[in-house]
Amino acid sequence: MTLLISLTVAIIFASAAYLMLKRDLIRVISGVILLGNGANLFIMATGLRQGRAPIVPSDLALSDPLVQAMTLTAIVISFGVATLVLSVVYRVYDSHHSVDLRRLGSAEAVQASLDDQPAPDQRRVLAESDEALESEEGVVEGARR
Amino acid sequence: MIVALPLAILWFGALIVALLDGTRKPAGYLAVAILAGALAATTVLGASVYRHGPREMAIGGWEPGIGIALRVDLLGVTFAAVSLIVLLTALWFEVSRDVKARIFPALVVFMGLGLTGLFFTGDAFNFYVFFEISMVSAYVMASYGETPRQLRAALIFIVVNLLGSVLFLVGIAAIYHNTGWLDMERISTQMPLLHENPAILTATIVFVAFGIKLGLFPFHFWLPAVYTGTRPAVAAILSGALANIGSYGLIRFGADIFPRELHESAPVLIALGAISIIYGGIQAIARHTPNEVLAYSSIGQVGYILIALSIGGEAGYAAAILYAVINALNKTLLFLSASLRGWIAGAAFAVGAFSVAGVPPAGGFFGKMAVFQVSLDDHQPWIVALVFAGGALSFIYMFQLYRARFWINEEADEATTRGALGLVVAIALMIVAIGVFPEPLLRLSQQASALLPERGP
Repeated sequence: MTLLISLTVAIIFASAAYLMLKRDLIRVISGVILLGNGANLFIMATGLRQGRAPIVPSDLALSDPLVQAMTLTAIVISFGVATLVLSVVYRVYDSHHSVDLRRLGSAEAVQASLDDQPAPDQRRVLAESDEALESEEGVVEGARR
Repeated sequence: MIVALPLAILWFGALIVALLDGTRKPAGYLAVAILAGALAATTVLGASVYRHGPREMAIGGWEPGIGIALRVDLLGVTFAAVSLIVLLTALWFEVSRDVKARIFPALVVFMGLGLTGLFFTGDAFNFYVFFEISMVSAYVMASYGETPRQLRAALIFIVVNLLGSVLFLVGIAAIYHNTGWLDMERISTQMPLLHENPAILTATIVFVAFGIKLGLFPFHFWLPAVYTGTRPAVAAILSGALANIGSYGLIRFGADIFPRELHESAPVLIALGAISIIYGGIQAIARHTPNEVLAYSSIGQVGYILIALSIGGEAGYAAAILYAVINALNKTLLFLSASLRGWIAGAAFAVGAFSVAGVPPAGGFFGKMAVFQVSLDDHQPWIVALVFAGGALSFIYMFQLYRARFWINEEADEATTRGALGLVVAIALMIVAIGVFPEPLLRLSQQASALLPERGP
């Protein structure tokens, strides 16, 4: 039983890692969610003990209530975080019109090349980078076409 | 009761502030007042801990051993006070200029709650829960401002740090499986009985999790992207308050729960710290924008904490605590003052720069000296050379930055308000005061480290 569960956890972690290396943000987020669930299963596996419901006055073998409490908390947290990540992805999609990491990367490269210019006058560079943000959206638009 | 007071103030305060419109000044100042109240309560608690030793309390009226414990010792209360000072300054700074999002003040208070809880808890799983409270506030904060660039940075930040959180959760589960306890005091008594293989695996997982939070060398890649795009107050909070999770976690878990593993893997950790120092310093010299230089500088500075911790012993732990505290203040001062103009801001920035480079009379001198002394006692002269080289590198990048920010372009900036200047000056004075009267902080860090189990060379 322990071997079976460890194999399952291993497969979930491996799939999550694979998904997180993808270019598509939706897959990356699926990987993140899967990873959280793999961790939940791992917590359950740490207290793997067969027994009756843990109600205190009892002479029989009890199952471990602590891991269940921990898993429940972890599920709630990973659920909340998943909604937060999805909303950030939506905002990214809203401002870049894309969920492809290559396009986000090229937008970042435009920004970085502006930052790296020698800056005799910081003000002017700041003004330029504001324009860059607008033209950066232009680049993204261009890439879409 | 006094143990839970700072948490209660922050908890209810955060809920109230979350309902208000944070872009308005009164709500912002209410959040500042709540943080100040929590800081005052923490100071009172700290004084009592200093005099009477660690305080303990089981939540919800349960018997100790069954209920979840809050355990406040000098190490935790020191970190809590420093984090609250940083949060208070950064929030006040932002409120005195202009808050851009209605949720921002509430987020800062929530982060204060998460951090204080994390430093006060005596239960490993609760550590994770508080850790997540502060991380989730940080996730939202990273996208504060909501330009395309900040959203991209927030996305990287969230994905990488979620990976760290999941690893930490797996580490906690492994600790529970191996020792049968979640109470940190019992874990640290059970851990030495454990076979070496599971212990070193668990310790590695926990180290990687905290390394990601702290931005140590092989796990640093998310840090510059996030710091570069954000507003100065957020960068100050991330590097001055949130990074304390990493340093506190390494000290607490490393010195308290895994002392044997820490001692065994010291050569590897010292090497990682050394690479962090050199890599961060060289990268910082090559950068131009203030936030980017300071981001790489943070990567370099945490290397010293790791080295001091790995050399170990009471003096090593004390040096790590001292360095972490001073580094948090330095980074807050630098991120905030680099965004201001005028000679006052320039002077404050110079104090921060001296402190990072380790030049007296700034406080950073004593942080560097503590690391220096520990490595001399340990007969590792090359670490002494490394501390020197790191100091020289930070001297170069700091004054490059100073020149670019305050000499070449020193006209007044519209965002430089009197309140913001006052705060920056207050932090600068605090760092100078630490440099001039170092005894209280030195004694504090020594007493805090004396509570950790003695192990090492």
